[in-house]
Amino acid sequence: MTPPALLWLLILAAFLGLLVFVLRQRRQIHQIERLLDDTHGRLERLQLHFARFAPEDVVERLTEPSGDLIASRRMVTVLFADLKGFTAMCDRLDPELVLQILNGYFREMSQAVTAHHGRVTEFIGDGLLALFGALEPNPWQAQDAVLGALTMREALARYNVTLRERSLPELEVGIGIHRGELLAGVMGNEELSKFGVVGDTINVASRVERLTRELAADLLITEEVRSQLDSRFRLRAMPAVTVKGKPEPLKTYQVDGVSMTAQPA
Amino acid sequence: MAQLLNEIEWDAPLVPPVVVPEWETEAKQRFGGSSDYLRRVAPVPWLREACASWVLCPITELPLRLADLMFLVVSQENACRYCYGAARAHMRMLGYSERVIGQIEREIQLAELDEKDQAFIRFCRNLARSNPRPARAQRDELMRLGFSPLQIKEAAFLIVAHCFSNRVASFLALPPVVTYERLGRSFLGRLLRPILVTANRRSVPVPANFVAPEGAPFARVTGALAGLPAAYLLDRTLNGAFDSPILSRRIKALMFGVIARMLECSFCQPESRKLLRSEGFNDEEVDASLASLSSPKLDARESAILSWVRETVRYQPSQIQKRTRALSEAIGPQAMLEAVGVAALANSTVRVAMLLE
Repeated sequence: MTPPALLWLLILAAFLGLLVFVLRQRRQIHQIERLLDDTHGRLERLQLHFARFAPEDVVERLTEPSGDLIASRRMVTVLFADLKGFTAMCDRLDPELVLQILNGYFREMSQAVTAHHGRVTEFIGDGLLALFGALEPNPWQAQDAVLGALTMREALARYNVTLRERSLPELEVGIGIHRGELLAGVMGNEELSKFGVVGDTINVASRVERLTRELAADLLITEEVRSQLDSRFRLRAMPAVTVKGKPEPLKTYQVDGVSMTAQPA
Repeated sequence: MAQLLNEIEWDAPLVPPVVVPEWETEAKQRFGGSSDYLRRVAPVPWLREACASWVLCPITELPLRLADLMFLVVSQENACRYCYGAARAHMRMLGYSERVIGQIEREIQLAELDEKDQAFIRFCRNLARSNPRPARAQRDELMRLGFSPLQIKEAAFLIVAHCFSNRVASFLALPPVVTYERLGRSFLGRLLRPILVTANRRSVPVPANFVAPEGAPFARVTGALAGLPAAYLLDRTLNGAFDSPILSRRIKALMFGVIARMLECSFCQPESRKLLRSEGFNDEEVDASLASLSSPKLDARESAILSWVRETVRYQPSQIQKRTRALSEAIGPQAMLEAVGVAALANSTVRVAMLLE
């Protein structure tokens, strides 16, 4: 082979080598871009899902580089619901059937809460905790919570019809609603954390729910909730009862129903 | 949380396009023609006028580049399939690559933007979202970064003008203009770019030094836009809306009151109360109506509107479209159309009132 031919061959080999290198780099860049797009998509979906459990501003702050979170005090209406006599039912029925009944119940109740601007934040055994006004300001939170509870009552009646048709035992629920200031923020440690609320309002709502058994009622609200309702709501005052942690007896009202036509002020 | 274009659920349109001959003639003279969007809102004169003129408001203070970014960011924030698709196509025509648009859509930190642009986009998102409305500190930050007070006011109006269009298009589920969206990506679109961009950036002649007369609805909010063409547009739309005979003034004032209450606006709440007083409501009746979202003074149609309007502040398109369809069945399409316009206007007015804080 003559020297010029060898030189041309070397130039060609170098060119081909460079071409292969450029093409590889391009392919790698495309792969990285696809990976980045995919990661962005996942992050976006994660943010969207997470926004169901925590306020938007909290999610935004969590995804920012600093990730600082400030706890805030919010006026929140708390709804506690618990099934009456469900533990005894669990002992009698097949576990799979129990779970099926419970999941159907939770689905119906969650829909009723969501339809009235509330969020179910926790299922505790056969009980559920729903918050109104915790994730975004809601000036009608007390009214929404009571309307949500009334819808839960109607939904349960319909659900019981389906249970009866399947020769299954019917469910009975007790609902307690209270309103007050709560501390909201992300709580926990590095391994396990969640957006949540803490404060006496939660305890009071839970105690009001327990009073439904003592007072043979199904939907009780406190004075703090009653003061936010107008004359369309049909309420019945219940005897004041002393509860744990409260120096004064707790005054509650049974909600019988609501007329959707406005009454003269 | 902002969604991407293909994630937005969108229903079938709630209203058909309607050809109103006098409007067609006027639109041809003033804007070069009507559009499918404008024909669908044509049965309500003040609404079609606002839909046509707000987006054509002359931009006198802000750089056009920022106004273009705002169009994309606000439409995305409001999850308006119609406007978001159009904004993307517009950005493509301006020469932005899919990659850069994607970065702006996904995370402002990833976009190749400087601190000033990032702060501006944050302001756009926060005002559009208003959970809560941007505080004075955010406006101060924009000033520190070099924006003038007039630029911030103009930005605020342009953001709420997009919010207005987004709400009208979303509530009525207007069909996306797919041909225009495709044009943005096509060779023909690139070829016609200069013509299309010029056409998109045209504006309507509007007086710049307008001062709202005392006693006009929400005159203080309009006053906050003094020195900008926006003041005239907002005032004319507010007057048009309140003077329209399709819905009563009292329900419109109550709709403003509900939205002002929800967005905790200390200026618009007393302003709606003032309007309600002139409609024969005493203070106790105003309080009771706003606290219960009902009033014995309202008829069945008005009661349906009052319980619907709170849903217009924060919404998912598919849900609000279902609720608006139900409202239309309850009160009729023309009344629904005006209710949609008033709700969109109230949301924009209360949002822009943050300039007074």
